[in-house]
Parts: sequence; structure tokens; C-alpha cells
Amino acid sequence: MTYLGWVTTYGPTYLDALGWTAVIAVLASVGAIVWGCALLLVRLAGGRWGARAVDAYVQVFRNTPVLLPIYLIYFGFPLVGLPWPAAVCGGLALVLQNGAYVSEILRGSFKAIDRVQFDAAKSIGLSPWSAFRKVVLPQVLVYSIPSLGNQVVLLLKDTSLLSAITVTELTMQAKLLTEQTGAAYEAFAVVAVLYLVLVAGAEALFRAAQRAVRWSR
Amino acid sequence: MSRGLLRDARAALAVLVLLLIVTPAVAEEKSRLDMVLERGKLIVVTMSTAPPFAFNDDKGQLVGFDIDIVRLLATALFKDPGKVEFVVVTAEGRWPAIESGRADMGVGGTTVYPDRAVRVAFTRGFIDSGVSVLVSKKSGIKSIADLNQDKHTIANLNNPQMADRAKRFFPKTKVLTFDTPSGQFLAVRSGRANALQIDTPTADYFASQSKDDFEVLPGLLGASQNNAIYLKPGDFKWWLWLDTAVAELRTGSWYPQYSETYQKWFGKHPPPQKFYLQPQ
Repeated sequence: MTYLGWVTTYGPTYLDALGWTAVIAVLASVGAIVWGCALLLVRLAGGRWGARAVDAYVQVFRNTPVLLPIYLIYFGFPLVGLPWPAAVCGGLALVLQNGAYVSEILRGSFKAIDRVQFDAAKSIGLSPWSAFRKVVLPQVLVYSIPSLGNQVVLLLKDTSLLSAITVTELTMQAKLLTEQTGAAYEAFAVVAVLYLVLVAGAEALFRAAQRAVRWSR
Repeated sequence: MSRGLLRDARAALAVLVLLLIVTPAVAEEKSRLDMVLERGKLIVVTMSTAPPFAFNDDKGQLVGFDIDIVRLLATALFKDPGKVEFVVVTAEGRWPAIESGRADMGVGGTTVYPDRAVRVAFTRGFIDSGVSVLVSKKSGIKSIADLNQDKHTIANLNNPQMADRAKRFFPKTKVLTFDTPSGQFLAVRSGRANALQIDTPTADYFASQSKDDFEVLPGLLGASQNNAIYLKPGDFKWWLWLDTAVAELRTGSWYPQYSETYQKWFGKHPPPQKFYLQPQ
């Protein structure tokens, strides 16, 4: 069978897998950014112990390969009575690890904000929580857009690891088709193109976001 | 999408397409047999997750029945069982390793199927295999009929033969598909699944390793099968040498070495050298 013949025959079978990869990547990205914001808040407002706890958390997740939490959650949770679906377990592992990275990205951006703004916020009567939510966080997020875009691309590619725990995302589909048809080159070339498309989409989205905030300022 | 991005994507696509066209076009004229003899060592692709065929022992050394068979081949080629380089891959990594020419041949609990033989060539089988079901003792499953209920879950490997067997023998059972045998075993240990299907000798090996946790169900899923050496198709000289070597091991001049290896890993005599000869 020619390459083209193979692609037209088996190409459509990738659609479901493409959907899984996209949905998991989008939900996990949103989750990771929200979780990163929460970690930043604890670091800023949680006192010395809060900051230390976040530090420890970041160290643990930044210094372990993400496959580890994926395995740990998928195979460990049933032992404590939580047999969550594989996609949820894998997504959670991606959120936990990428949240650690996101919190560090946000911390970097936070340092770029002028301290005077806190006094200004206080002087117009904003509570610390309101100041964080209305003044600090939006700016932190805007400064972070390029780095967050990078992180989302990394997360998107890490979804391939979910193939280890039965999730039929793109990489698993390629593995299944390789075993089924023996056509390893074709199977993985199609996947490479599909990842490329997804990553290009994510990058375009973040570039658009950056342009939009530049416009508004 | 900005112009630059579009250009990047186009360039990346072009590189991919080029790779697709160039890779398989590299022609192979010389027989692998001559290449192997010139090189002075055999390059063999294998899995390391199929005990007792090919696996890592307590010291992390790659050992097993299939590994010893390869060492016998190296002895025949170079008078030295050590002249082998093993390339360890996962199950689906076997075919591209052969297709790309990265390895001369492959072993490792690999079963011959006609649909597989479209893409890779096989020698005749060098050991019988079959597929059995390994269950967790806790599950209380005693037979393949027991397993066929929607409250049970079976852990499969990602090859289509596994999926076909699941549909045929226990259509009601839920199926989880893993990319490694270790995933299958973890699934049963963690309670994600109650059972897994795997090559009979591997199932026996694991059941004997943890008698309290696992049990092999009586009966095979389907027929007795052949595990064989696989190689890139189209190289008659190389295939002929390997097939002749396997024939000699199974039924001919090297049967004593074969028998010794068989007894080392399976603790029993191999099938008789020839059906009309009494086992000695």
C-alpha cells in the first residue's frame, strides 16, 4: 500500500483520538493555569509556611518526570477506592505538574509589577483579596502570556504519555495502528502532522491573546 | 495565523514529507547474512518484558529462552555466544526496528500471524506458544466462561489479535488496552482489571512468581501458536540461513543444545526431535 493509500484508508480512524488529545489538552491547560494561580496566591498570602509548602510542591513536581504522577494516580487511586477513568487520572497528573510550572511563570511576572501599585490599591480602599484579583492577577497573566503559551505547548505534547494508561489519544492510536498494520512510519507520520496542527493552533491562540491585550493597553 | 507561523508550519511539513519519501527508498542490495558476517556481530531487536522468553533478571541483565536461542545463533555464526548486540524496544517498536534495518532480526515472545507476515518475514516457529488468561485470585474467576460478564475487566496489549480474542471469547467483559505488559500487570494488581491475556509461558511464569495473587485459567484462548524469529522480508539468503538454523535447533543437529536451553527455562523436555523418534 502506498503512503497516500494508507493515509486515506486509516486517516479517519484518528479523528476520535484527535478529539481526545484536544479535549484533554484544553481542559488540563485551563486546570493548570487555575491551579498555578491558586499556588501563587498561597505563596503570596499563605505566610512563611504557605510559601515553603508551595516551594516543596514545585520542587517535587518539577524534578520528577510526569509519567510518574500519571502512573501513580491511575494505578494508585483504585487502591484507595477511587477508580477514576484513565483520562481523568492522566489529566489530573498533567494539571498537577504543569500547575507547578505555571506558578513559577506567574511568580516571575509578579516580580515585574511595581510595588507602588499595592499601596495605590490600598489607598483607594481595596481589600488585599480584591487587590490581588483586580489589580495584580490580570497584570501577572498578561505579562505571562508568552511563557504560558510555551507551557501549554509542552502540556499538549505530554498528553502523548497518557497512551501508557489506556487513553486512546493520538499516540496510542498510532501504536494501535502500527500493531494492526505494521506501518509504523505512516502511523507516526500522520500523528506528527496532527500534533503540528494542534501546536500551531495553540500558538496562534496565544499570539492572538497577546495582540488583544496589547491593543487594549 | 500570522505569516511567519504559516511559513514555519509549511517548512516543518515539507521536512516531514521529505523524510517520508526518502526513508523507505534506501535500497538494500547486499544480503544481511554477508553484512552480519562482515560486521562480526549480530544486532537483534527484542522486548524485555516477556519472561521467560526475554526479560531483565534481578541484576538487570537481559536473559531468557529467546536470548539464549540468539546466543546459539551467534555461536553458529561466529563461534562466540557473546557477539550479539540487543536492541530493546516495546511491542510496537519491533516492526519499525526491522523495517528500518536497525536490527538484523528480532526475537522476544513474538508470535507468527498471517496478517503480521504481510509486513515482516518469519522463520518457522522455534517454540510453541498460546495465549492464556491470568486472573487475580481475589476475583474468584475460575473459567473463561466466568470471565465473560460485564462486571469483569480484562487488560489487553495493544495488538489487534488481543482485541479479536476478547470479542470472540469474552464479548461481555470490559477491555482496557495497554502498551506494555507491565501496564497489564499493574492494572490487575491495582484492581483496575481482574484479568489479563498474555502468552501462556509468560502467564505461567508470572503465576509461579506470585502464587498468592495470580492464577492461570485452564485452557488456551484459541489454538497452539508458533513463536518465531522475524526479519525484513525480501532477503532470501538471510531468511534461509535463519530458517535452516531454527530447523536444525528444533529437529536436527543442534537439538541437544536446544533441549538443554529448553530445560533450563521451562524445567521440562522440549517436544521430541522428530515425531517418529521416542523422546530420550
